[in-house]
Amino acid sequence: MKILFITWEFPPLIAGGLGTACYGMAQALLRTGLALDLVLPTLEEAYFPLREPEDVDRLPVALLKPDRRLERQLTETIESGQRMEALGLSPYPETYLTPGFSFGQFWRSIPWSRSVRRELVLETIQENLLGPGDLFRKVQELTAKSIRLFRKLDFDLIHVHDWLTFPAGVVLKKLTGKPLVAHVHATEFDRAGGQGNERIHRIEYAGLSQADLIIAVSRYTSEMIIDRYQISSERLRVVHNAHTFESGAAKRRRIFKGPLILFLGRITIQKGPDYFLEVAQRVLKQHPEARFVMAGAGDMMSRLLHRSAAQRMGPRFLFTEFLNRRQVDQILSAADIFIMPSVSEPFGIVPLEAMAHGTAAVISKQSGVAEVLESALKIDFWDVDQMVRTVTDLIENPEKRRALAEAGRKEVLAIKWDEAADKIRQIYRELVN
Amino acid sequence: MLHIVFYFQVHQPYRLRPYSVLDIGLRDDYFDEGLNRAVMRKVAEKCYLPANRLFLDLIEAAEGRFKIAFSISGTAIEQFRLYAPEVLDSFKELAATGCVEFLGETYYHSLAFLFDQEEFVAQVGMHRRLMEAEFGFSPITFRNTELIFQDSLADQVWDLKGFKAILAEGAQKVLGWRSPLYAYHDYNHRLFLLLKSYSLSDDIAFRFSDRGWAEWPLSVEKFSRWVSELGLIEQGDRALFLNLFMDYETFGEHQWAETGIFEFMRALPGEILRHGFMDFAWPLDVIDLVDYPPEALKVPEPVSWADTERDLSAWMENDLQKNGLASFYDLLGRIRERGREDLLTKARLLSTSDHFYYMSTKYFQDGDVHKYFSPYSSPEQSYLYYLNALADLEERL
Repeated sequence: MKILFITWEFPPLIAGGLGTACYGMAQALLRTGLALDLVLPTLEEAYFPLREPEDVDRLPVALLKPDRRLERQLTETIESGQRMEALGLSPYPETYLTPGFSFGQFWRSIPWSRSVRRELVLETIQENLLGPGDLFRKVQELTAKSIRLFRKLDFDLIHVHDWLTFPAGVVLKKLTGKPLVAHVHATEFDRAGGQGNERIHRIEYAGLSQADLIIAVSRYTSEMIIDRYQISSERLRVVHNAHTFESGAAKRRRIFKGPLILFLGRITIQKGPDYFLEVAQRVLKQHPEARFVMAGAGDMMSRLLHRSAAQRMGPRFLFTEFLNRRQVDQILSAADIFIMPSVSEPFGIVPLEAMAHGTAAVISKQSGVAEVLESALKIDFWDVDQMVRTVTDLIENPEKRRALAEAGRKEVLAIKWDEAADKIRQIYRELVN
Repeated sequence: MLHIVFYFQVHQPYRLRPYSVLDIGLRDDYFDEGLNRAVMRKVAEKCYLPANRLFLDLIEAAEGRFKIAFSISGTAIEQFRLYAPEVLDSFKELAATGCVEFLGETYYHSLAFLFDQEEFVAQVGMHRRLMEAEFGFSPITFRNTELIFQDSLADQVWDLKGFKAILAEGAQKVLGWRSPLYAYHDYNHRLFLLLKSYSLSDDIAFRFSDRGWAEWPLSVEKFSRWVSELGLIEQGDRALFLNLFMDYETFGEHQWAETGIFEFMRALPGEILRHGFMDFAWPLDVIDLVDYPPEALKVPEPVSWADTERDLSAWMENDLQKNGLASFYDLLGRIRERGREDLLTKARLLSTSDHFYYMSTKYFQDGDVHKYFSPYSSPEQSYLYYLNALADLEERL
């Protein structure tokens, strides 16, 4: 069986969790004997045939733009501007888009069959892709490229990841009649922490309504899809993400004499950093020896920095700014307690990484990862009282904390992508004989 | 007689490196050596060396009739030694002419007087010893960081013994209807106060190269005509002091050489001295020159020469600044309490007022000035590096 696998990120072309997840998933799928043709939003009209598990590490991205020194970036997570460049995308849409490219014209030139041409879903996609916005123009280009590519490729099933690739998936399904699997790593409701962008909602809905089967990364996400998009649960399947850990235990290091309590992630409303600050303020009253560190960058950082100063937390509440991969490992292996107070987290891979580094984890119940973890403490993100009691308890009982951390480390190191890949393979089998 | 008092501020802070949480416990080199060296080299080339050359020439040519005063912070002297020893030599050469007064201040250009009297006394003492060692000059005039002054500062300076005069900003809120051209006393101790004439000072320091200014370009003739007309206010022939106070970096750094600032300064003394009723004086000359009982000025609220507010808001207005200052003085107190001399020097380098100046979040005109002086991309960034450095110090305690 051969799968057309369309995603927005794949290492080394990666900024967030989506690329890491697709990498682990693709590698495990290849181990089951499947073949994948990988399509990424590269500027060039290229795709990556993956046949062996090792192929995931051999993406010939260097060939795309040999002058861009991608080698250097292989080991480090890179910032969005650089990522765009690495992907072959210019941050300036007018230079990124092929000169003279008009999505409207392109759309009209697609050889739709007469009955398909009038379908409402295609109109929805076209309407919402047109209009302003750099990201939308990049999605237009990926969609157009996928359509131009499909004639060269021979595949049995289309597997797309998140709304950025949904237009390509839907259009290819209409053109080829091949089954479509839509994988939801996050919905616009999670990302926005509220209403979100109307155009993205419409594209998300178009993809979900046309997919033959939908894979959600957690029950939490599948309920969100049923609830917000009124999708029938019959077409929904849950496959929890896994994580590939680097072999060899990282060395633990103490930065502070007192306990280090860590937030790590984008400092944005979805991740609940304001709850972390609230917890810090209250815990510090009883335990001034504790140090709270907010690691990462994001739109709420400045506000929280000012708030932490206003509460006179002194050098007990510190910020790191953006961290690269190596620095993330360093801070994780120095943390005693990791808190993920996310307001809405479809899955949430960071607690797994924290636990693999031997850090005790306190995580939001409003997360997919809470469904799979035994050795993490789970609390409603809004229940600051409970969070304060839990963190205080872990500070006051280092033995308990160490036991939790050790159990957590063992638990997450046993998590493998192979199990998830088997489930995905079963889902493919439901659609292709 | 109109006495023109030139005082120039010479100061360079140690700027912090992007000091990360991950550096804590591993390195205690909080300061960006490369950046500090580069700034010092640049300012030495553009300002300190050519300006010292110019003032040396002027002093030699005037045969004792041209005098100036400098206030040089301890952190500036240290960085001369590290990165530009020839600058220190040229200041010594100026000192040797006998026509330069050196003022007293806090060694670290700090805000210690507001938070920690013991520290204030220590830093002023350190600075005095430095001036004596480097220039053989024991300061008699005091000038607090960024010209910050209030009655309680006069109390503290009086207690130090040895100082007879203080410089301050001639702000409207201090003077009311009075003129900055007269000498005053502080509210209680008979310390002389000399107040900056900010309009004429800023004509040179800020507006000199401003093409949008109606008086641009400022010629020596025009400026000395304005100065000479000031004397008309005085009917009883009492001594007047025109206090022109500014950053030394005005010459060549804030105002580039291309603006003609050096030529302006080169011609000014001759033009002034041409008139019989004007001369140049040091701040400490006020003790001998004043020929009337000075009025005592009450200054209950702090004034400074910074920003349009002329108060402390450049350093302690927002929460970043307040938390930074409170955290610092709390830590400094504990370091002293435990007698940790090894940490004290490093800690004191974090007392320099510039660290808090960079954390300012003012908008409009003053925000631009803050930005011009700041090596960081935002006030928030300078705050988080500062706090990380404090956390490291605290861990070492």
